[in-house]
Amino acid sequence: METLQYPNVQETLYREVLDNGLEVIVLPKEGFQKTYATFSTKYGSVDNVFAVGVEEPKRVPDGIAHFLEHKMFEEPEGDIFAVFASQGASANAYTTFDRTVYLFSATEQIHANLETLINFVQNPYFTDANVNKEKGIIEQEINMYRDNADWRVYFGLIDALYHTHPVHIDIAGTVESIYQIDKETLYRCYETFYHPSNMLLFVVGGVDAEEVFRLVRSNQAAKSFKPQGEIKRYFDSEPVNVKIPRKVVELPVSLPKCMLGFKEKRVGLEGEALLRHEVTSKLMLDALIGPSSKLYQSLYEQNLISDSFGSEYNSSRDYAFSVLGGDTPDPDALIQGLRDGIAEAIRNGIDSESFERSKRKKIGGYLRMLNSPESIAGEFTRYRFRDSDMFDVLKCYEACTLDEVNNRLREHFDFEQLAVSIVEKSKPGE
Amino acid sequence: MTSFQRGQLERIRLHVLPTNRFKTFAISLFAGVPLDEKNVTPVALIPFVLRRGTAKTPETIAFREKLDDMYGAGFGFDVYKRGDSQIVQFRMDVINDRFVSSNQSLLAASLGFLGDVLTDPCLEGNGFRAKYVEAEKATLRKRLEAIVNDKIRFAAERCIEEMCADEPYRLHPLGKLDEIDGIQPDALYRSYEDWLQNAALDLYVVGDTTLEEVTKLFRESFRLKPGTPASYTRPQLKHDARETKFVVDKMDVSQGKLNMGLRTGIGYDDKLYPAALMYNGILGGYPHSKLFINVREKESLAYYAASRLDGHKGICTIQSGIEFANYDKAVEIIKAQLESMKAGQLSDLEMSQTKAMISGHLRELQDSAYEMLSYDFNSVLTGNNRTSAELLEQVQAVTPADIVEVAKHVQLDTVYFLRDRKEA
Repeated sequence: METLQYPNVQETLYREVLDNGLEVIVLPKEGFQKTYATFSTKYGSVDNVFAVGVEEPKRVPDGIAHFLEHKMFEEPEGDIFAVFASQGASANAYTTFDRTVYLFSATEQIHANLETLINFVQNPYFTDANVNKEKGIIEQEINMYRDNADWRVYFGLIDALYHTHPVHIDIAGTVESIYQIDKETLYRCYETFYHPSNMLLFVVGGVDAEEVFRLVRSNQAAKSFKPQGEIKRYFDSEPVNVKIPRKVVELPVSLPKCMLGFKEKRVGLEGEALLRHEVTSKLMLDALIGPSSKLYQSLYEQNLISDSFGSEYNSSRDYAFSVLGGDTPDPDALIQGLRDGIAEAIRNGIDSESFERSKRKKIGGYLRMLNSPESIAGEFTRYRFRDSDMFDVLKCYEACTLDEVNNRLREHFDFEQLAVSIVEKSKPGE
Repeated sequence: MTSFQRGQLERIRLHVLPTNRFKTFAISLFAGVPLDEKNVTPVALIPFVLRRGTAKTPETIAFREKLDDMYGAGFGFDVYKRGDSQIVQFRMDVINDRFVSSNQSLLAASLGFLGDVLTDPCLEGNGFRAKYVEAEKATLRKRLEAIVNDKIRFAAERCIEEMCADEPYRLHPLGKLDEIDGIQPDALYRSYEDWLQNAALDLYVVGDTTLEEVTKLFRESFRLKPGTPASYTRPQLKHDARETKFVVDKMDVSQGKLNMGLRTGIGYDDKLYPAALMYNGILGGYPHSKLFINVREKESLAYYAASRLDGHKGICTIQSGIEFANYDKAVEIIKAQLESMKAGQLSDLEMSQTKAMISGHLRELQDSAYEMLSYDFNSVLTGNNRTSAELLEQVQAVTPADIVEVAKHVQLDTVYFLRDRKEA
């Protein structure tokens, strides 16, 4: 067991990689009632063509990682939610582009709940009947998102940005694709991606680290896993340009929604370089278009944006893009206003006062995030799966310079790389 | 576990919880008035205008920069209903100075900021700055119009509106769309003065501080007129039983939203309240509950099927997203669950699971500064000082007979369905 001290945020982390490859991290939080644990696999919606060792690569139906997440909760003896409930734990799970996370939070019976979490995720139980039953439920989940305008404008944008990279596919898949899923394919995905060497267990809260390690070690020692070769993920080569410059859908909304996305031309960063890139990009976006920027206030005063306006930056080794937008009465005027504001920032650069202010704000936001066990576990895992350390984020913000931010701004904003996604108001009766 | 220290200064009650468990100070100011047809819209607009600037920092950019300079202090507000009251809650959170090299006390700066926002606003002539009032009227209008964008929320609010059509509770906390246009800067300023003079005011601080320090900082930062604190009025909980009201709205949607409103008549300080929590938990509060099991797991009719208890108004609501054609089937299944609650079909497992879940939730409150102060604020609202530990004990003691007693009070008042425009 390795001890990692982070004196600048007054946190201590304990880490161990077990013999079967499972990485376990414990972050004790003194005085906390609750323990929050996540058991995550580095497997998300984008992993739709893959192979292990010498296998032939195979394509699986869209939405299967999410489908698998739903099905894991069913065990031969029944629904695992009932077991957690008997032990006073709230359990849940979610699937993102690049990971699937199973979790519980509880204030008692922590050891029993940890065992339950590990055991149910390591015990798949798929039958033709239970796989078919799930299709109706997921179909309703997909329909729920079809009616959600925020979801539609956001995923519409990613679809407009990417030609072939599976990040543009809905995480839940489509009604058509989920009906192609069968238990054999689920088992194949499971066996590939749920090997302990592809997984991370993170426990944070009022726990004793040594006790947690003892429990996990003995739980894992009682199970046998075949050694596994390297998982290879295949992505068709993605063109540099955007797929659709302007994508519009109609829904019954009170105001149109409009999002702009800039697709990075160069990707391929990993580890600490990727972390620095992300931190610099986020700082740059906040200084440019955060709520206290001149651009934000000017667009707000022109009534082109409201409190719903925001920006974010998404990056991984294979894709990276920014997202800016929100509700607006006039998408074209907002697009023009943002283009003009960005062009001006490229000419004049971000000034040092705005830069310092955004930096302080980002540091404050990061420290506030550390109050929340849920955020710590989620963010730590996200960074760890890209070979970087969440606790380095503070250092990165502190080290970031104005020159780096201005270089990032000029490199990132290329209007050739812009795609726009709009949800227009549907007209009643059409 | 230390508890809240209480003080009082002119019209405001102070509640301070000294703790060093968090990396931040959490601050909340609650201002509540009775929900009222005439005032609901101006009261909703007030915090929107206040957050644009103060007398000292009239320009919004400089105002926002001040927050960023305090290491990105979080600042925001909500307007919502609790019982029959309309409550404006201002929230601030700022990091504890010990983590950063700051040359100012961030707690002092935050309370100074909040004091200016609430009691020293940016004025011109006899009212608020007209430009801000106009812009925030547009923002409020957009917020009200945007309710329809989230169909789950829209259906839930329409159900309550239909259910409480003859009570103040039908009103939306953000007010009425058709009254926004007529609001003028000087009239709004008069509404603000009335509001500040009459609202029940409570300031909460959770963090590494003391009542003494907060009292001193409050005195320096807030300019309130003399007076004594106002208290909250009791909501109307009882309602005559009536035939169930059925309502259908049509819109271009892919999925139907089925909502039901139940009257429990049981408030936060009712001795049956712990049993009402259990009733809701067994019916639809969790993935092991009757609604989830019977609507989703057994019949695959829905992705979500749940219930929620509003203890301040004595209402329980049910919500689910289904295919249009499954309306009758879903209503029938849900009604069967209500009947089984009434018949006392409550297994030992359902009892123990639900007790464990509610107890876990009550213990978890201690880990979040905002959860702790929100829980404590219930006692201000209702006059009932039951701690979360006491409530936990009472929940543990609930028997199936208590839950059947709750079920006898429950009336299915309204069934609301949002569906597509095609004929059924």
